[in-house]
Amino acid sequence: MSWHITADLMDAYLSGGLDPARAMSVDAHLGGCPDCRAAVPYEEDRLRDSWQRLEAEVLSPRPSPVERLLRSGGVHEHVARLLTATPTMSGAWVAAVVAALAFAVLAARESAAYLPVFLAVAPILPLAGIALAYGPRVDPVHELLASTPLSGARLLLVRAAGTLAVAVVLAAGASPLLPAPAWLSAAWLLPSLATTSCCLLLSSRLPVPVSALATGGLWLLGVAAAGGATGDLLAAFGLAAQIGYGCAALLISLRLYSKVNA
Amino acid sequence: MLHIHDLTKKYGRKQVLDGLTLSVGPGVTGLLGPNGAGKTTLLRCLATTLSYDGGRVDAFGLDPAHAAQRTALRRRLGYLPQDPGHYPHFTAFDLVDYVAILKELTDRKHRHSEVRRVLAEVDLTDQARTKVRKLSGGMRQRLALAQALLGEPELLILDEPTVGLDPEQRMLFRALVSRLGESRTVLLSTHQTEDVAALCERVVTMVRGRVVFDGTPGGLAATAAGQVWLSDQAPAESRLFWRTANGRYRTLGDRPPGAEPAEPGVEDGYLLLVGEAA
Repeated sequence: MSWHITADLMDAYLSGGLDPARAMSVDAHLGGCPDCRAAVPYEEDRLRDSWQRLEAEVLSPRPSPVERLLRSGGVHEHVARLLTATPTMSGAWVAAVVAALAFAVLAARESAAYLPVFLAVAPILPLAGIALAYGPRVDPVHELLASTPLSGARLLLVRAAGTLAVAVVLAAGASPLLPAPAWLSAAWLLPSLATTSCCLLLSSRLPVPVSALATGGLWLLGVAAAGGATGDLLAAFGLAAQIGYGCAALLISLRLYSKVNA
Repeated sequence: MLHIHDLTKKYGRKQVLDGLTLSVGPGVTGLLGPNGAGKTTLLRCLATTLSYDGGRVDAFGLDPAHAAQRTALRRRLGYLPQDPGHYPHFTAFDLVDYVAILKELTDRKHRHSEVRRVLAEVDLTDQARTKVRKLSGGMRQRLALAQALLGEPELLILDEPTVGLDPEQRMLFRALVSRLGESRTVLLSTHQTEDVAALCERVVTMVRGRVVFDGTPGGLAATAAGQVWLSDQAPAESRLFWRTANGRYRTLGDRPPGAEPAEPGVEDGYLLLVGEAA
């Protein structure tokens, strides 16, 4: 280097008194001149803090768009991370749900006689998602996660809530396309909550996929039996039945809550 | 302190743990045994990922058979499974961060600082933003070890931790585990008798779900005293012999004709023990 930073210039640089052009010139010089760099005073603690801030900025993960959306909706940062990492939350599952709903909507629009198909299928979709959300066969990291304090019922509940929310939003989006009054188009909602909570309760005793299969099977059998007994395939979606689903969902959810917090 | 009393576990008709009794204190304890000896089953029971059929486990006064105590125990342990698995679309940082959330580190700033610490411990800071699917096998193994170190657990359970590590990484691993063992209880299973000799104060050998040796690595080597031989010719009758790098034959058991005695090692003691028990 043919020149070095004078004491006056260094003071002005450190106090932030230089205009941007001269400050950049000093920066560039410091980058190439070890002697002048050594003359810049620094505090070790401040340097370490700055380095840690820089490291945190560089290494911290960038939240995905879905995670950002959840966080903007008031979901805690760590819960948003848990939800978006659920194995079910893959494009394949969402595509399968959309395809199933689209098929049921198209069938109902073709003939109103197929409306019960949509109403019967919608409560099954979250169960399929939950079956794929937790367990050694569907989660490649299951063994590792199973030894953590949040694993088991608590993690399953978080993942099931995420799965249910996605299925409900998609089904709600499809409902207005049905050729039926609004109340009937939404008659799948309470059964969905009831079947989901029932599946979660069963999963405390049975593997999650078995619970989902059993609950889904019982639901379809119930719908078919009610239809067969009354000659009306919509019998399982009447007012009295809806009150029953609502009560069942509430009671089972309370039971789940007490089990998780036991 | 970890006490295991009369632990049993069956898979179908196969008895995998057969009344196993063991106490493990602070320091590094190595678990040796052939395939099917029950090492992984034992570690999974202790890591609370597998229930046992009978017996009792007491870890720091907690019984993992009870749900509430199991959760309390999980807060105090770090576990590296034999096959940790990974989410391929996650970065190294994401994966450890995810486990940190499940270990109840919910404060983002503190959690991220802890994730950076454990990644630095296993020398993976430079790979923090690399997708897990792009990491080598050894790096993935170190990543799995990193998550086990989250929250500085009092009990570390490591199942085959040195699989996939190259010699340099294995040395780094030994240094790390030795340091960890100074202040906590480390229980590791391995097939590598060199690892046991290098870093374990205590070695437990299992065969068919039972403990057949419990002592120091030196003690295990000593069990082979007077049964290790070197000869220029391959022994005609022994089935426990191999050709060494210098062309001589190392034989375990009865003295072959013309053989001279050799200093026994941990591997000699282990092979004789497992051979006798099999």
